[in-house]
Amino acid sequence: MPSNTAHQAYLNTRVSIMATRLLAPDQFASIAELELAELAERFGLGAAVDAQPDRRRRSRAVEQALIRTLLGELTVLTRPMRTAERALVSAWGRKYALFNLKALIRGKLYDLDQEDIQAHLYELPAQQGLAEEALLRAENVLELLRALEGGPYALIARQAREVYEQRREPSDLEATLDQRYYAGLAHQVAHFYDGNLRPLQVLVGALLDRVGLMWLLRARFAFALSPSESYFRLVPSLRLLHRERLLGLVNLESTERVLEALPEPLAGLLAGTADPQEIQRRLAQYFVVEARQVLARSHSAVARALAYLMLREIDLMTLFALIQRRLLDLAIAPADLALTADGRGTP
Amino acid sequence: MSLTPPAMRHVRLLVLTEDLPRAALALAETERFHPDERPPEAAQLSRAPVHAYRQTYQQAQARLTKIGRLIPPSSQAEIDEIRVVDLEELSEVNDWLGRIWHEASRYEEELRRLDDEEHFVSEQEAALGNFAELKIDLSLLRNKTRFLDFYVGIVPRENLRQLEGATALANHLLYPYMLRGEQAHVVIVGPRGEREAQLSSVLAAAGYQGLPIPAGLERDPQEMAQTLADRRRAIGEERKAMHGRLADWAAGIADRLLLAAKTLHLAEPLVALDASIRSAGHLAHLAGWVPARAIHDLEGRLHAALRGCFHLDSRKPRSEERALVPSVAVRNRLLQPFDLLVKQYGIPQYGEIDPTPLFAVSFLIMFGAMFGDVGQGAVIAGLAWLLRRRLGPLYRFGVMAGLSSVLFGFLFGSVFGDEHLLPALWMSPLHDPILMLQLALGWGIGFIVLACLLAIYNRWAVAHYTDAVFGHHGLVNLVFYLAMLWGGFGLASAGAFGWLPLVLVVLSLAALAVRSWRELEAPTGERVLVVFIETLETVIGYVSNTLSFLRVAAFSLNHVALSIAIFTLADMMGGVGEFTTIVLGNVFVIVLEGGIVLIQVMRLQYYEGFSRYFSGSGRAFAPLRLRRRLAAPQAS
Repeated sequence: MPSNTAHQAYLNTRVSIMATRLLAPDQFASIAELELAELAERFGLGAAVDAQPDRRRRSRAVEQALIRTLLGELTVLTRPMRTAERALVSAWGRKYALFNLKALIRGKLYDLDQEDIQAHLYELPAQQGLAEEALLRAENVLELLRALEGGPYALIARQAREVYEQRREPSDLEATLDQRYYAGLAHQVAHFYDGNLRPLQVLVGALLDRVGLMWLLRARFAFALSPSESYFRLVPSLRLLHRERLLGLVNLESTERVLEALPEPLAGLLAGTADPQEIQRRLAQYFVVEARQVLARSHSAVARALAYLMLREIDLMTLFALIQRRLLDLAIAPADLALTADGRGTP
Repeated sequence: MSLTPPAMRHVRLLVLTEDLPRAALALAETERFHPDERPPEAAQLSRAPVHAYRQTYQQAQARLTKIGRLIPPSSQAEIDEIRVVDLEELSEVNDWLGRIWHEASRYEEELRRLDDEEHFVSEQEAALGNFAELKIDLSLLRNKTRFLDFYVGIVPRENLRQLEGATALANHLLYPYMLRGEQAHVVIVGPRGEREAQLSSVLAAAGYQGLPIPAGLERDPQEMAQTLADRRRAIGEERKAMHGRLADWAAGIADRLLLAAKTLHLAEPLVALDASIRSAGHLAHLAGWVPARAIHDLEGRLHAALRGCFHLDSRKPRSEERALVPSVAVRNRLLQPFDLLVKQYGIPQYGEIDPTPLFAVSFLIMFGAMFGDVGQGAVIAGLAWLLRRRLGPLYRFGVMAGLSSVLFGFLFGSVFGDEHLLPALWMSPLHDPILMLQLALGWGIGFIVLACLLAIYNRWAVAHYTDAVFGHHGLVNLVFYLAMLWGGFGLASAGAFGWLPLVLVVLSLAALAVRSWRELEAPTGERVLVVFIETLETVIGYVSNTLSFLRVAAFSLNHVALSIAIFTLADMMGGVGEFTTIVLGNVFVIVLEGGIVLIQVMRLQYYEGFSRYFSGSGRAFAPLRLRRRLAAPQAS
């Protein structure tokens, strides 16, 4: 086992080398001008684009290839990590398995054919997957969740099953899955006690702040849920929107009041807008800045690795949005695509 | 026995699509057809006609497996009649299994409900124990009051903190009064009013389960404990009755379930062929690898099954396909355990020499020489025989290793380490250690030369001619090694290396260096360095690999030395102690030294042998089979 310094140095070097793959902010405009073939060639997606017969399948193949790239890099980075570090980064990457789980649940709810469900599943590496083959053969949602209770997703699955058994509401089930995912991330960060703790709190806290605020606004003012129901769906952040602050915010009666009551820098960032899309866009920008700072300045190798993966995901999803724009001939300005393609925030 | 795997042929079979189930069964019965999953060259053959069949089969098989979880099979059954299963029949079986699984899952859910209820009773018992300590009349909590809202129940521990916040927002107080396993027992109290409904929704999302406050709590807690114990007993009886009903139901469907299992077994070969079948209209194409000597039988079987309605052609494997051709494993029962050990390293590539016979012979010689003892060898062989059921085919490996040890024990005259009980047929290793070392060195040289010859043959056989000459352990390496041995022998016996061996050594090393130089694409400095190190490594490698075989003699000497040490210690003890020391010493030698010798021999085989001549990159011959035995449910 290498010493801690050697271990950190190795991982930091790997992250620094990989970080050269991230798109610089000024690169986006030039990439947005590229045609589909040029985009595919430049980012090694030629096989994914050419091998498929129709646009839908091409789009799916490109998305699959980009996710494979991301998870491949995750595997490379987690290999030299220690147990707690690997657990945290793997927990973040599990969002793709949860996408699959949601697709499986929806498929079972609407009684879709196995092949239709399979078409909506991402092909994931074995260590990050759900053993989808076995789950596909479950005949209903409860059986599916029961089958999942035997593996690493036991906690999420058990909670989801209990919620589903009591309420039979797919939206509650999905909300529970999301909540357990983010709560799991926060829980993993709590396992650190050394120099990694602070940068991880900053990074994962920024993520939870972003997700928490959007969920809060949606639950309170779009779904008109009560303060207690809204609060129960949230995950307290490790940074700005911690438990006490969320308890105060959910009791407020309008979006404007919530935004006014936010701490800095969120209050300044969101000043002058109450439009949910604009709020989402600004929060995404805020998160990118925070993640870039962790990547550039932190001494914690695991925090840098996670920041890199989060930024890389945003880049790859932006690229996917650009390719989709070309594939589907969408008349959307590249700038608008960049604003929304902020990574797969919620699984 | 041939040392190379049997010759294989690539077979292309054209049949009518409707005859596919029949063709699959016929191929499975021969157990000589290894499917080739590459798409056919003809672009028109693009449909996958068995796709729906496979989907139906997989769903039916999954259902059968799930039913089997609830009704475990109790015996083995045989497939007595081999018949074709078409999609219609398969779908019927699948639908029936679907209905049965639906019923079975009701039993399963019911049993789970009883488990949950039992768990709930446990929680209630724990709560009762806790309430008994309190000095208030908790029976008042059973009914909501005009102004106050009470909840007493359990929530998953991980939701506790979040629920605390949520209840506070609904103007309620949450008090966790006990933590048990993954559950937290809580009391929630708050004013009645509009927020009550909000709280109910949160509690449902949090997985809250209310614990009913038992009536009569203000009376004797023993009485309440008895009520809960009665409930637990009732659950146990309910479960027993449920198992009884389940057994009756299972017995009623056992025959049909067995039939369904047989149908799925008969459908399995066609499903296994799915990836290898392509069709165009009524014509289906499938391809595979068949041992050359089995082609005639295969054709005959297809004739009988398809009434001549097929076209089969076969050809030799092309050179570019060599890596795809499967190798048929050794079928000799004695060699079977050695084959398992060879497979730990890899499968012989088609055309390569199968190392199993050589591995078996050299393994037994080396193990016997390093651990030669009549008594200890007999113990190993006897234990392997006694544990044959547990060890499976590997028991023969233990028996043969033990017998080899016995044989060398007779040669060395050693019985449980005692060299006075039996006259040595040859001599004790310690009698002439130098001779033993010389023999081991000679064995090692023979082993390495044979390994190089095999490496040359194997590469030649798969048309890697340059590698056969210049590659690692190829012809040039062998010339170098033999020349070095020749020179070394001259140096030891006559004091001079000799000019001819020297010329051969220099020329062969130069040839290797030139090859390495030409293959490298790097700056000149790096090339010089790499070529120098590689050449040096060749020289050092062969010398050290040859000396590595000295361990064969070293361990045979070590074995005698250990035995002497044990007997010396035993002599010092006297009486019962002497006997105990000899027994324990022998156990120590058998376990520890036996284990070490086993590892050393494997190391010599894998590193000095296999790494030279055996690529291990082949594919195992896995023919289509029809499994005739299956697990059967309990019949009525």
